[in-house]
Amino acid sequence: MAKILIPTPLRQYTDKKDTVELGGATVGEVLSALTSEHPDLRRHLYTDEGKLRSFVNVYLNDEDIRYLNRDSTPVATNDTLTIVPSIAGGITDVSH
Amino acid sequence: MIRIDNDAWEVMGSHARSTYPNECCGAMLGRSDGDDKIVTAAVPIENSFTGSQNARYEIRPEDLIAADKAARARGLDLIGIFHSHPDCDAYFSKTDLENSCPWYSFVVISVKNGEIDHANSFLPDPDQTRAEQEELQFPGSSALSARI
Repeated sequence: MAKILIPTPLRQYTDKKDTVELGGATVGEVLSALTSEHPDLRRHLYTDEGKLRSFVNVYLNDEDIRYLNRDSTPVATNDTLTIVPSIAGGITDVSH
Repeated sequence: MIRIDNDAWEVMGSHARSTYPNECCGAMLGRSDGDDKIVTAAVPIENSFTGSQNARYEIRPEDLIAADKAARARGLDLIGIFHSHPDCDAYFSKTDLENSCPWYSFVVISVKNGEIDHANSFLPDPDQTRAEQEELQFPGSSALSARI
């Protein structure tokens, strides 16, 4: 079973659990199990086209899955998946 | 409504002043009950934007994961993100919106001439097309009138 850390605002869709443990051989399988068990999570993580939203990053232990093998990245027992958003910004209109 | 307690606001204000004239950023920790949030602690995060930081900020996901772990260790939740607008009003810019996330409150602190001028909080939508302003309370907020 892999451990998935749920960000605070999404815990309302996981019965208030901050951590969910699910099985799966790959990152894609674990995430699929997550959204199957908690279907309301899906629209917060994925677009209508089924792609992870642009601001959603998934880390396997300490590594971004985009730099591993994305959804096909193998997951071992006791691995931790973390869902974390991309956040940036700044002033663009200096007239304010 | 989001309320920032004194200790957290001290950390946020100090970080915004010390990084001026660059933008600062950080995480807000606390508790939420429906739409009501209370920020009891703040964690400064290094601005990782590689260009000019007086008009941009970026948070490394690894740093946000560390902030989330710090929150869990203290029995708190990561409930918001803050950043500063040096010599500029505390509005939610196009860049802020296009690089936002709908999961958190985003507090923008206006720093003018090195001092805190005012602040506002925003709730971006999932499509990153609009952000609703939310009521913000912080120590001295009645004196530092919120404005856009």
